Amino acid sequence: MAVSLSKGGNVSLTKTAPGLERVLVGLGWDARASDGSAFDLDASVFLCGESGKVRSDSDFIFYNNLRSTDGSVEHTGDNRTGAGDGDDESIRVELTRVPAYVHKIVFAVTIQDAETRRQNFGMVSRALVRVINQDNNDEIARYELSEDSSMETAMTFAELYRHNSEWKFRAIGQGTEGGLSALARQYGVNL
Amino acid sequence: MQELTRGQKGKLTDIGVSDALDIALDVGSSGGGSLDISCFGVDADGKLSDDRFFVFFNQKSAPGGAIEMVGAAHGAKECFRLQLGKLPATVKRLIFTVAIDGAGTMGDFNASSVRVIVGGNGVARYAFAGSDFGQEKALMMFEVYFKEVWRFAAVGQGFNGGLSALLKHFGGEEATKAAAPPPKPAPAAAAPPPKVNLGKVTLDKKGSKSTVNLAKGGGVQQIHINLNWDNPNAGKKVGLFGLGGTVPAPDLDLGCMFRMSTGEKGVIQPLGERFGSKHALPYIFLDKDDRTGASSDGENLYILRPDLIDMVMVFALVYEGTANFANVNGRLTIKNGGQEIFIPINNPDPRRTFCSICTIANKNGAIEITKEERYFSDHEDADGVYGFGFRWVAGQK
Repeated sequence: MAVSLSKGGNVSLTKTAPGLERVLVGLGWDARASDGSAFDLDASVFLCGESGKVRSDSDFIFYNNLRSTDGSVEHTGDNRTGAGDGDDESIRVELTRVPAYVHKIVFAVTIQDAETRRQNFGMVSRALVRVINQDNNDEIARYELSEDSSMETAMTFAELYRHNSEWKFRAIGQGTEGGLSALARQYGVNL
Repeated sequence: MQELTRGQKGKLTDIGVSDALDIALDVGSSGGGSLDISCFGVDADGKLSDDRFFVFFNQKSAPGGAIEMVGAAHGAKECFRLQLGKLPATVKRLIFTVAIDGAGTMGDFNASSVRVIVGGNGVARYAFAGSDFGQEKALMMFEVYFKEVWRFAAVGQGFNGGLSALLKHFGGEEATKAAAPPPKPAPAAAAPPPKVNLGKVTLDKKGSKSTVNLAKGGGVQQIHINLNWDNPNAGKKVGLFGLGGTVPAPDLDLGCMFRMSTGEKGVIQPLGERFGSKHALPYIFLDKDDRTGASSDGENLYILRPDLIDMVMVFALVYEGTANFANVNGRLTIKNGGQEIFIPINNPDPRRTFCSICTIANKNGAIEITKEERYFSDHEDADGVYGFGFRWVAGQK
């Protein structure tokens, strides 16, 4: 029942999966078949408060900080080439354990060293992000990165946000210049 | 006319194309070899399942007139005339390629371009030149593909292996991906740094260097070198009907040639069981011999006293299981305290099985790591270049 999202699209988790407790956000892409530097895509997460920014640097979950302080959000680790089947990087979110001060969970995807390697999402085959209901392994939604965002190198992909007592999921697909450091600063991280 | 850059994609309708279009190719090189231009009409998996849709100098049109190679037109040297509605449902992607026959690489290319022409008018152009490329001898220039609707892509990616690598990419032997390894457990949390560190150092090009300073005040941090690789042969069988048994897994050997500041020198490698020593000179040791790449952590070399070394040359040798480094995705990771340096083995030479990956040199207390990725036929050849001066005899594991 997966919804294939395009830029700006959204999905109501309440309608799709009532009582949803745990999701897995998976990033996958094909390892480079042509010759040249590998495509190293990185998934990152910003746990944002009401201000729309992180409350502290520990709320920035990425390849150098794999776990939120209370463990409700966990990143499975850095895949530097896309080698391997299935999701190459994943982030587990236990929605019921996310602290109350977190109003939205923002997911970003960036290409490591995009400038020096002269790469963008359009060059990567089958780069996509998908949201899986971990309670029953159903794929809820997917967003394919390379069609709509071919010229981008860093992007806010989507966000999970609270609405009253529910969690909703919105696809953003908004590109940013300046890579992960610019994105992180945008969300209030100290670099 | 819309100017496209590498990686750019869009819908054909966005550039005014509905069904018929011409692809005009202007490619020139100062390299000396001749250039073969082709169009591969492949299926949704990227494979040439119907070779009537491989349009090239010996087969200038595809069935039904869907693709036709018409020669010089629109001021370009070669032109393909397309009628997308005439393609069979199985052909979903048309990739326009150029391969060099003879001397030279894509690095020698003059200013070249692919233009999309509709009704005699140029509507889009992807311009490229030698400076965009390196050692590739075959290039996928442009693609017209179907995904919900017809789209275009300025590809600009190629293969050092030339036409044969290109053919393989479109449906020669497909290396099956090894089963996905189980997700690695999150490492134990270290004390958080005062500021968030985005640093990952990758030595991508030959000659790239990274310098780490040995800790001052008595504490010397070890240098941990890890070599890992994939097994693209997992599950593959050889022989008639696959009855010849499984293809041997690639066995890469990590090793090093070293010279201490005292002048003492030696070699550490699995061949000859020279695993080194933790407790005595040279304080360099190898943890194990991984014969298949199946071990999730590969092979590890530790330099415990980098302050005592003069120069270490780290190498990898293909011992068996694959003819060359090309499809094993070899990668070296060097850890020293908090810093991590990643060296991909990404420019393999299919003719050689000894690769000097990097040198680690002690320059007055600063450790300088330089990516080499140079290929040799054997240890003796490499020694000739790095000047250790060993006497070499043949051995076997």
